[in-house]
Amino acid sequence: MGIVSFKQVSKSFGDIIALDNVTFDIEKGEFVFIMGPSGAGKTTLLKLILRELSPDSGEIIFDGENVGALAEKDIPFLRQKIGVVFQDFKVLPERTLRENVEVALAVIEVDESEWQGRVDQILKLVGLFDRSELFPAQLSGGELQRVSLARALVVNPKLILADEPTGNLDWETAEGVMDLFEKINKEGKTIIMATHNKMIVEKLNKRVIEIKNGKMVSKESKEKVHTKMKVKVEET
Amino acid sequence: MKNIYFKVALDYIKRSPFQAISAIVVLGLTFFVATMLSVLVYSSGNLLKYFETRPQIIAFLKSEATPEAISAFQNKLTGDSRVKDVKYVSKEEALEIYKEATVDNPLLAQLVSPSIFPASLEFSVSDLSFAEKVIEETKEEGIVDSVGFTASLGGEKTLGSVVSRLRTIIWYIRIGGGVFVGILSATSFLVLLVIIGMRMTTKREEVGILDLIGATPGFIRSPIVLEALIYATAGVLIGWLSSFIIWLYLSPNIVRYFGDIQVLPKGTLNFLGFFAIVLVVELMVGAFLATSGSMLAISRAKKSR
Repeated sequence: MGIVSFKQVSKSFGDIIALDNVTFDIEKGEFVFIMGPSGAGKTTLLKLILRELSPDSGEIIFDGENVGALAEKDIPFLRQKIGVVFQDFKVLPERTLRENVEVALAVIEVDESEWQGRVDQILKLVGLFDRSELFPAQLSGGELQRVSLARALVVNPKLILADEPTGNLDWETAEGVMDLFEKINKEGKTIIMATHNKMIVEKLNKRVIEIKNGKMVSKESKEKVHTKMKVKVEET
Repeated sequence: MKNIYFKVALDYIKRSPFQAISAIVVLGLTFFVATMLSVLVYSSGNLLKYFETRPQIIAFLKSEATPEAISAFQNKLTGDSRVKDVKYVSKEEALEIYKEATVDNPLLAQLVSPSIFPASLEFSVSDLSFAEKVIEETKEEGIVDSVGFTASLGGEKTLGSVVSRLRTIIWYIRIGGGVFVGILSATSFLVLLVIIGMRMTTKREEVGILDLIGATPGFIRSPIVLEALIYATAGVLIGWLSSFIIWLYLSPNIVRYFGDIQVLPKGTLNFLGFFAIVLVVELMVGAFLATSGSMLAISRAKKSR
């Protein structure tokens, strides 16, 4: 069993089926793209892992725990094991970049004496060390996304969920952010990234789980996807 | 309590200073009135106790009363549970009292001899409601010539009405003051509720983000509850200190005016001790108001999310 397993998971919102009988496994250290058009169910899938939503049926196992069966009081502890990066960055506007990262350490109750070292290290990794005292309003979109990634990484999570992290960025900035994700993955972090940006998927050449109208249409290996993408690009 | 909670709470306050001032002023006013009222309740209680328990009844004895009869009557009074502080005043002692009272005019004292003063038995009652009955019984004693009362109370007929009036005033102070403090406390509670509710509304996005990165409800709640506790503590200290300064300023005049009646705690230590107790009680009430008000605001904000 992988670090994340979906077993016949379904989720509906009234008459709208967001996910229909989805099953897959993601191994530790994998980098997996969840692909599909807008409204396909990508975000729902991530929200189910994060227990923002509960599945109607099926099981979601993360790190050996049935996420759907967790009691309300245990949800924060599930989330503390997951780093999340959002399309709209979700940084705290009234806190400096450093404080935005520190808050994640405060949440997992890391001793304050360790904060500076850990935050410095992460900010250097994402290339924002020299901007640590700036406020979000003083940063560009790419920089904000790197803050979001730094906050996700500083807690040393078992899994990183990224929901369209390049959705609000230009191609050049997006490439820089994706390079960072790849670097992190190479260091052994498991990453699940929802995106509809085929160019990014092709560039990184990772495994793809494709969803359309809530149904999983493929969970191809990275080689197959790479070939398929190549063909598609050549056709266009 | 972690430093980060204090830091965040202080940041919240610094970023909305007018909300903070409103909360502190309302709480300060509440605790100012509460402190004033505490002293009034203490003083009026002591005033009533003084009138109820001071030696009030004087049984003037007939000149032919024998020492045995006086002693028997004194024993009878001492054995009566309604009566206390029985004291025999001889003719000579009565003259001394008279001399003290007329010290400004020694000629008056020279004109009299002990023989014209009757011996008496002075006593008080444990509760003023017994007074009239005891006086009636005393009058019926064979060795008693007449029965008198402490002059300030205005005599037998008005004795009951003076104390009754005093009791009514105290009742108004206690009930009226209690209701007033209750209304102010409710207002403080509502102000805290509104201010913390506004804070929750403006911090909705922040709370959402914290929730997503795994913050426990306690982590999210703590700075907000702490903010309310800071308002309450500041309000209590300002209200209490203002009232304390006023009482400190007024106390010499009050003590002088009431004389023997101990309307304020006697001595510096007792005075400070009394105010220290009031402060501790007010801090506890403030903490309760702040905690309950902020928790209610948080739960209401959660429901509306």
